[in-house]
Amino acid sequence: MTIYRPTSNLLMIVGNYGSGKTEVAVNVAVQMADEGRRVDVADLDIVNPYFRCREARELMERRGIRVVMPPGAQAWADLPIVLPEIKGMLHPEGDRISLFDVGGDDVGAKLLSSFVEALKGRTYSLLQVVNSRRPFTDTVEGCLKMKRDIEAASRLKVTGLVANSHLVAETTVEVILEGWRLARSVSEASGVPVEFVTAMGDLADDPALKTVQAPVLRLTRIMLPPWLRPAEKKDSANPEKSAPAERARPIFRP
Amino acid sequence: MAKVLMKGNEAIGEAAIRAGCVHFFGYPITPQSEVPEYLAKRLPEVGGRFVQAESEVAASNMIYGAAGVGMRVLTTSSSPGISLMAEALSYIAACELPVVLVNIMRAGPGLGGILPSQGDYLQATKGTAHGDFDLIVLAPDSVQEAVRLVISAFELAEKYRNPVMVIGDGMIGQMMEPVEFPDEVKGPPLDPGDWALTGCAGREKRIINSLYLDPDFADRHNRKLKAKFERIREAEQRWEAYNCDGPCDLLVVSFGMMSRICKTAIEELKAEGFKIGLFRPITLKPYPYEALRKAADKAKRIISIEMNMGQMIEDVKLAALGTKPIDFFGMAGGLVPSPDDVVAALRDSLKKAGAGGKAR
Repeated sequence: MTIYRPTSNLLMIVGNYGSGKTEVAVNVAVQMADEGRRVDVADLDIVNPYFRCREARELMERRGIRVVMPPGAQAWADLPIVLPEIKGMLHPEGDRISLFDVGGDDVGAKLLSSFVEALKGRTYSLLQVVNSRRPFTDTVEGCLKMKRDIEAASRLKVTGLVANSHLVAETTVEVILEGWRLARSVSEASGVPVEFVTAMGDLADDPALKTVQAPVLRLTRIMLPPWLRPAEKKDSANPEKSAPAERARPIFRP
Repeated sequence: MAKVLMKGNEAIGEAAIRAGCVHFFGYPITPQSEVPEYLAKRLPEVGGRFVQAESEVAASNMIYGAAGVGMRVLTTSSSPGISLMAEALSYIAACELPVVLVNIMRAGPGLGGILPSQGDYLQATKGTAHGDFDLIVLAPDSVQEAVRLVISAFELAEKYRNPVMVIGDGMIGQMMEPVEFPDEVKGPPLDPGDWALTGCAGREKRIINSLYLDPDFADRHNRKLKAKFERIREAEQRWEAYNCDGPCDLLVVSFGMMSRICKTAIEELKAEGFKIGLFRPITLKPYPYEALRKAADKAKRIISIEMNMGQMIEDVKLAALGTKPIDFFGMAGGLVPSPDDVVAALRDSLKKAGAGGKAR
């Protein structure tokens, strides 16, 4: 199974609204923590009022992930709160890794521009998540425009692409392949590599994904709507090790 | 058209465009701000007009004016913003103008919070504003149904020349679901008929106002509006009856997104041998009293489940007319009941109904 190993210990996830940044960010954080890495996650979503990675706080903290988010009732506001701890996270110590889940579009990415001075001369991974089934980013031009807008707003450069095409429960392998092809074209046009392609649950085992020339990252659906219960997480090689079902808190239960 | 993934708020905006509405006046408020945001991007692409008003009071009077000159028009807001629009809505209803408004409800009362709620049920269905008038109120339970109902709202508004509200909790606005749109975009302007202010050159002048100093005229006008709502009541009731064929231990009444959590709980209790029906009104107004009464006749007991402190239960009582005991379960303030919360509430009611399930 693919585990994503970012080239930098500062990983920032951007993209348009609804591209699936948070699901990707929480999954990547959880997978790295399960591998033994020490992970700090910052919820920097200042544009979305719901479905932010702070809802998965408990699940991440159980794995020793440090979650930086507005304290107390402020977590349930739509205020653009940026905590002082974030500056410290720009320079992770030792083997720690910092992961920023950034808000959608250029509006959300604007926040990163305040880190430009602190990031001078240092490498970072800035991943743009792309979903071909979202309006405004269903074409190469749309994705490139989003990339330009995010780069202009954040004053940083996108270093990698994540193909995360999906229709939630209605995702088929065709949708994933379509997303891979779109990301590949964006990559060819921009020179930015496709870092990985995501596939939810069992879809990651589909033989059709063998044609994908990028690592395929298996996601678990963690950010669930309140009426859904999480699917039992099966470990086919080790049925007795099947993990208990996990999810973000049924939302809005601080 | 292929399925796309959209936030409820974006889908509502796109649905309005597909319904041929290219005029939007509104003011941002969480959790519906993506509607104006989306339309600010999209309307210029389709030759439409987007105006961010200086307040909800202004926006609601702008739709009043736009509808008055025969434009298909939309505004959207969230709870406190809808309260600010109340006065204009009464004027619009009085003048029989077709407008569509959307309320993506947040937790109240007062400034409240930004989390989801169904706390404006009574405001939407009974006490929107001063005077005798009725809105048509539609409540979707998914992003796809929101699209269908927004399109339907424009049809109803024009058919009856009446304001129509599409109402959903914040979750309907914020959640992402796969959605399909009709390919065809409905033709532009609505039929100006014999009422819209289109310039009176060559014809008799028309006046739209709601000042009725002559009490006889005012009485006749009130009767006319009431008669219109009776026609709406006859023709436009919609609901979903789920698991409602045959006798059941319990009937759940729930609307909007909340009903989907109820369905999960109902399915889980089915495995234990409990038969629980779900009645979901889609038109909160006109409320489907008779259909609910028929479903209630087959149940031992009823429970109304809402994301508020008990508002729709008043209509459930009117439907059941004292024939069945009625329980209530609800949460407010932005909390969304989990399937576990609902299962526990249903178990309580089942016990009171004397239902045994499989083993007991």
